[in-house]
Amino acid sequence: MNALILVGSPKGRKSASWMLGSGIGEGLRDRGVTVQYGMVHHELRSGEGTGKLLDLFDSSDLVVLAFPLYVDSLPAPLTRLLELVAERKDRTAAAGNPRLGVVVQCGFPEAHQCDTAIGICRRFAGFTGMRWAGALAMGMGGSLEGDFGRLPGGGKKILDALNKTAEALARGGDIPDEAKAVFARPLMPRWLYTLTGNLGWRLKMRKNKAQSPIGYRPYGQG
Amino acid sequence: MKALVLDGCREGDYLAMEAVLEMTTALAGRVDDVEVVKLRELVISACAGCFGCWTRTPGECVVQDDAATVLRSYLGSDVVAYITPVTFGGYSSLLKMMLDRCIPLLDPRFTIVGGEVHHLLRYRRYPKTIVLGTLPSPDAEAERLFASLVARNGFNFHRTFEAEVLVGVPDPPSARQCAERLLDRIGVSA
Repeated sequence: MNALILVGSPKGRKSASWMLGSGIGEGLRDRGVTVQYGMVHHELRSGEGTGKLLDLFDSSDLVVLAFPLYVDSLPAPLTRLLELVAERKDRTAAAGNPRLGVVVQCGFPEAHQCDTAIGICRRFAGFTGMRWAGALAMGMGGSLEGDFGRLPGGGKKILDALNKTAEALARGGDIPDEAKAVFARPLMPRWLYTLTGNLGWRLKMRKNKAQSPIGYRPYGQG
Repeated sequence: MKALVLDGCREGDYLAMEAVLEMTTALAGRVDDVEVVKLRELVISACAGCFGCWTRTPGECVVQDDAATVLRSYLGSDVVAYITPVTFGGYSSLLKMMLDRCIPLLDPRFTIVGGEVHHLLRYRRYPKTIVLGTLPSPDAEAERLFASLVARNGFNFHRTFEAEVLVGVPDPPSARQCAERLLDRIGVSA
């Protein structure tokens, strides 16, 4: 089986999407699946990179989209890639019955804010003749900065859910409901996430030596 | 009163281009000034996800390209219309590229809107927003997702965005009716 993990974050290998996507990818590799990775933002900057991603997409039995929620949907470059894949499928029928899975995280506490983006991916799968394998959606993605160890309990439950997902996908199944439930569970109380988040913005401003206040209005209106 | 049309269609997409034309005509009958921005002709790079617009130069993206000009125009408008082919239930990548760059319009701090966490508003006033999507043939699932996406985008700005989907081959009267209905729904009259 050939699997392609497409990372939709502009931060590439420094992103939470990479952590989650490679968590599934490495679990697949441990089970004998050939895994390739594609950094969508980077590859779409050139015709050569775009062609490479499209060829990888076409030759994969399983594609996993790992991305951050951007304005309730997929980041624009990932949307562009899906448009290009769909245009290509118009010309060449999908070989076999490739599957599509998703792992998405958002910066808001509620995982359900990812539902529309997941629906878009599912509709894309239907449109291009892929089989839908399900989605993992996580809120509080801001907690995932670079290290599972920063999560409550050392992130063991999330790692276990990723492993169970890889196990199911490797044997041709769908993403298990149990893993979806673990992902959807808040990592901490909502009030704590928003409190630390609001504090975090100010700390980052200080670190970045921002010259204007947090609520500055550069385009007028006082 | 000023209106801004964000044209998110590609050259050759005659249905969406018809929607742009009819929306522009409908707006011209109701407001003083209509600006049409063809996103396909601008240089707008993808959001880098750096949050520089919140934590380095609050309210302004650190990347200087055409997006900044569009944002100024957006805030200076009373009505904004997005026009896009419905793409698997979402926006075209052209429109999405611009919308991803709109986050400097919001304040990073969290607040509760409709029982969910969203961001605070940075500005006192935002334009009324309408969205006209196009589909070459009926697709109930894509239409449902599109309505959901537009509604969720409205939550981000603590208000209601109105949407319509124009289905079928290019047909000026139908496109015009969709545009007029949207303007009626946000209370923009001649």
